[in-house]
Amino acid sequence: MSEVKLKLGIPGKYEERVVTLPEGEPKPYDADSKLSVVGSRHPRLDGFAKVTGQAKYAHDIRLPDMLYAALLSCPHPHARVKSLDTSAAENMPGVKAVVAAADQHVRFAGQYVAAVAAETLEQAERACRAIKVDYEPLPFVVDLEEARQPGAPKVFDNRDSNVRAADPTERGNLAEGFAAADAVVEATYKTQVQTHACMETHGLVAHWEAPDKLKVWSSTQGTFAARDNLARRFELGAENVEVITEYMGGGFGSKLGLRDFESAAVELARKAGRPVHLMVDRKFEHLSTGNRPNSVQVMKAGCTKDGKVTAWQVDSYGTSGIGGGAGVANPSVYDFPAVRKTSADVYTNAGPGCPMRAPGHPQGIFAVESMMDELAYKIGMDPVEFRRKNNSHPIRDAEFELGMKAIGWERRNQTPGAGPGPLHRGIGVASGRWSNVGERRNSRIQVRVAIHPDGGVEVENGAQDLGTGTRTIVGLLAAEELGLPVEALTVKIGHTSYPYGPASGGSSTAPGLAPTVRKAALLARRRLFEVVAPALQAQPEQLECRDGKITVVSDPGKTMDWKRACGLLGTTPINELATRSDNFDGWQAEAAGVQFAEVEVDVETGRVRVLKVVVVQDCGTVLDRLTAESQVIGAVIQGISYALLEDRILDRTTGVMVNPNLEQYKIAGSWDMPEIEAIMYDAAIGYNNAGVNGLGEPPVTPTAAAIANAVYNAAGLRMRELPITPWRVLAADAARRGGRS
Amino acid sequence: MTTPFTYLEPAGLADASRLARQEGAMLKAGGIDLLDEMKEGLVAPEKVVRLSALKGMDRIEVKNGKLRIGALVTLATVAAHKQVREHARILAAAAGQAATPQIRNAATVGGNLCQRPRCWYYRHEDFPCRKKGGDQCFAETGENRYHAIFAADGPCHIVHPSALGTALAALGGQILVFDGQKSRSVAVEQFFALPSVDVTRENVLQPGEIIEAVEIPSAKGKKSAYHKQRERLAADWPLAEVAVVYEVKNGAADGVRLVLGHAAPIPWRCPTAESYLSGKKIDAGAAAEAARLAMAAAAPLAQNEYKVPLFTVLIARALMAAEKGEPA
Amino acid sequence: MDLRFKLNGREQSVSIAQDRRLLWVLRGELGLVGCKYGCGEGYCGACTVIVDGAAVRACQFPAREAAGREVLTIEGLAKDGKLHPLQQAFMEHDALQCGFCTPGMILAAYSFLLNNHKPDRKAIIAAMEGNLCRCGSYVRIVAAIQAAARRMYGG
Repeated sequence: MSEVKLKLGIPGKYEERVVTLPEGEPKPYDADSKLSVVGSRHPRLDGFAKVTGQAKYAHDIRLPDMLYAALLSCPHPHARVKSLDTSAAENMPGVKAVVAAADQHVRFAGQYVAAVAAETLEQAERACRAIKVDYEPLPFVVDLEEARQPGAPKVFDNRDSNVRAADPTERGNLAEGFAAADAVVEATYKTQVQTHACMETHGLVAHWEAPDKLKVWSSTQGTFAARDNLARRFELGAENVEVITEYMGGGFGSKLGLRDFESAAVELARKAGRPVHLMVDRKFEHLSTGNRPNSVQVMKAGCTKDGKVTAWQVDSYGTSGIGGGAGVANPSVYDFPAVRKTSADVYTNAGPGCPMRAPGHPQGIFAVESMMDELAYKIGMDPVEFRRKNNSHPIRDAEFELGMKAIGWERRNQTPGAGPGPLHRGIGVASGRWSNVGERRNSRIQVRVAIHPDGGVEVENGAQDLGTGTRTIVGLLAAEELGLPVEALTVKIGHTSYPYGPASGGSSTAPGLAPTVRKAALLARRRLFEVVAPALQAQPEQLECRDGKITVVSDPGKTMDWKRACGLLGTTPINELATRSDNFDGWQAEAAGVQFAEVEVDVETGRVRVLKVVVVQDCGTVLDRLTAESQVIGAVIQGISYALLEDRILDRTTGVMVNPNLEQYKIAGSWDMPEIEAIMYDAAIGYNNAGVNGLGEPPVTPTAAAIANAVYNAAGLRMRELPITPWRVLAADAARRGGRS
Repeated sequence: MTTPFTYLEPAGLADASRLARQEGAMLKAGGIDLLDEMKEGLVAPEKVVRLSALKGMDRIEVKNGKLRIGALVTLATVAAHKQVREHARILAAAAGQAATPQIRNAATVGGNLCQRPRCWYYRHEDFPCRKKGGDQCFAETGENRYHAIFAADGPCHIVHPSALGTALAALGGQILVFDGQKSRSVAVEQFFALPSVDVTRENVLQPGEIIEAVEIPSAKGKKSAYHKQRERLAADWPLAEVAVVYEVKNGAADGVRLVLGHAAPIPWRCPTAESYLSGKKIDAGAAAEAARLAMAAAAPLAQNEYKVPLFTVLIARALMAAEKGEPA
Repeated sequence: MDLRFKLNGREQSVSIAQDRRLLWVLRGELGLVGCKYGCGEGYCGACTVIVDGAAVRACQFPAREAAGREVLTIEGLAKDGKLHPLQQAFMEHDALQCGFCTPGMILAAYSFLLNNHKPDRKAIIAAMEGNLCRCGSYVRIVAAIQAAARRMYGG
């Protein structure tokens, strides 16, 4: 244990904190850290592989004798499988194995019921069609409101109803809060079901190297979680399962667990005694691989005329299909003195929801920040000022200043919807949050750094890179610590034979790995300095390494280049394994961000165009400014897509999804992209030695709300339901004019 | 999934027509829509007659004041072609805004006119709708936000997807149909057919008949406009589409052709609005009244009522844009 | 059937069933996995390859129609170990995240730049409307294409 004084906080307002560090912990980055590689704009390390087509995704793995798998899905939203006859399929050309799902009770249209492996994908698909399934269709319900009604068809027989309510929460005195309010707004906000729509669909290649030895190339967000799941599912020792994810085409939360259809492919490989390749098609991806649940948030909130929220009440419900987890982050962002909340999951006969980039947050914050806007306008207060009066987060407060300047906040309409003609422009604001400084405590995470006698350096951790840039930040952090150019290192990730890495969920990859990389690199560097010091007639602690040169700090004439220094190792490489330390008390744990959106609304056609978005986002230490900005920009574009376009549409009479494609399930394209200004807000937060917080999720949380608020500022139309489509805008306009909607 | 099929290579147009009459045979030009349909399991031809090999059907020429565009000309070519832009600028605009660049590189004029509807019930193999020989229209009471607001008696509520069809109807184009022996010229309005005629088809082509070319009276010097509105800003089907062409005689509109796309199962002409505008100077008031008249007979379904105000605005805007000579 | 065509500058001959799509022949028989399956219906552009200079969607393109023609995939874009300016620009501008859409993006841009040497931002956006990126890299993709065009053609 050692104590160290750190300068933490935000520019202009740094404060000194004494923190206690575990033994061997590198001195945490703080405001005084002079970093050369970390924080630079470094192109991602795997860019070359990706632009040349050399990057191999799970879809791309080709093994000798590999078979291709296809899945058969149930067309009914609710049915019992009375019989399933695979004999015809088994005798079809090329077919090598057939398996049926264990669950013979199908609860959503698209659920997997059987799988076939054959010499070619076409043969497997044809054989799937030859499987004879006799279904007993059962009553079903896919509509959220219908499913809540007493007497609605039950999704699970063993439950009293489809509604599973969470315990209500209450703090403060709500009645007093409303009594103290000068203004009260009651409103209901609704959000839709969004699917992850990763460009790479779910898939894997399973190869049984021996009857008790399994190797899987998987498109997964958690190599080790996949390994452990496979080991459990197939009753193997974890040491006999290897999972590899060198590259993956997006996950966004949908690739965190092992799915039944993925197990099926592994089972097919075992049955056939040959490797099996599974890549689900786009339709299956939409139906069965997860989604962001929808929500209805019935709200009432009050504030004083000087802008303090006094009472906040929300009753929310939503459906995660046959899954749970439809809760929303409402309230969030702000602290209110009196809050009452109820929430409920409503089961429907639809594909299960699963974590999706900031679970519960974009939908919750859409309601929270819309309500904040409504209150601000109701008392006639500047919406930013109103938010700042209710905000206690120092980073967010500073971010508002930057954001207002960047968007030109003073250009907003003083009177929403004012002005002649059909085209109206306006500006809206919303705040985002994410309550995670990563893995507070995960001593499973380890990083290995090896320095070889020939000067080569390897940095190893088995975690995967979803496209966020994990590989790159690992390289930058190690390079910084060792004093080498990034290009001199070999970064090895995405393989369970490397030290344990975290699953990428909750924006925890960077905060989980970054401190551990530093620690391992520091240990390795110390070892090398111990070997080199005598040759430079110095003590190890007198040495430093910069740009590949080891130098005695007090006597710069005494120097040795990296390669020669490593030569002193003789035949024994340095091999250091570091374990993730627990977080310590830093300065600020929660990531904050604000977004300003400028839109143009055509009130005659209902068309909304997002013209500009300004993002100010904190993530603690910015590890790679270039890739961090990319992630923030991408989050905004996903947020726009959610706000204006995306909607999983189930036909109510048949329970079947009518848009299971990328034609009618609309994700934002090149034209939908506005000008985006991404400002990374530099804060020294402490908490871990790299001072790093997660970045994947926070910037996607406020975008839809900022856009909806901008539509209000532009057109005077309060859009309380997502997506904000032309017909919803036209209906709102008609309602305002008192006409038919 | 696709069932296996073989390609047939016709020696000429007559041969193609003969091959197309065989049992289980279908015609393919650019292949965009046919391959979609095969992938979706909607059709499973055993033989596919490849028109792309035919000579001379990919030409564009102007003769006797008529623009003739071969059926195998790609949308990308139509969009960029100088003579199309000169004589039928709204056709170039319609072609240039359809689908995506990759699709426009392959999709042909003939294929665009003959493409099947995008109705999500029709396109989904799990829905045995009327158009596929079933006994119900799922859109009637189902998810119908993108469906027709005209021809409410159905028995099918698709909107016709062809962008070229809308523009060609406004231009007064003719479609040259080869029946195996000779060609006949069919006015665009007569080419498309309502579901009440035959719910399983969208046009009057008989088995073995092939679109050879389209012919368009030059609209050079005429007023015209093509407007559409999509949900996503690009690479999306229109929610509403308007094409208008007219001449100006003594300062007033003459021979007005106003056609709506994505409003009905066929490109939808608006005769009441057209005759109202005839002989009038087009100004904001006249445009608004014409739009109102065009929408008077609209009978929207439960979820597509928004199309009525949307078309009303687009029609008025298209008329004003044409009058002012704004770019198509 | 025996399909002969020029693939990435070399004569290629492969035996295929005549109803195969180009995507699966490239990814299967020929082992060129740089072109990706994204939707199978031509709406995402992940499978974009170049046939005689034009960008096509390989998932719907009948392989046999490549007969006698010239096909370029992402694997053939770098010449003599030297990256194409588009590839260079995509790396430098970080015009990618997961990278799954990247080969299709680069090839769509490649075909566009063949005939458009000084494109403005709007023209690039229009040219790329057929390619989807779920990570949301469009801002940087457009910037990268503009930079590559300048490097290739000046201006």
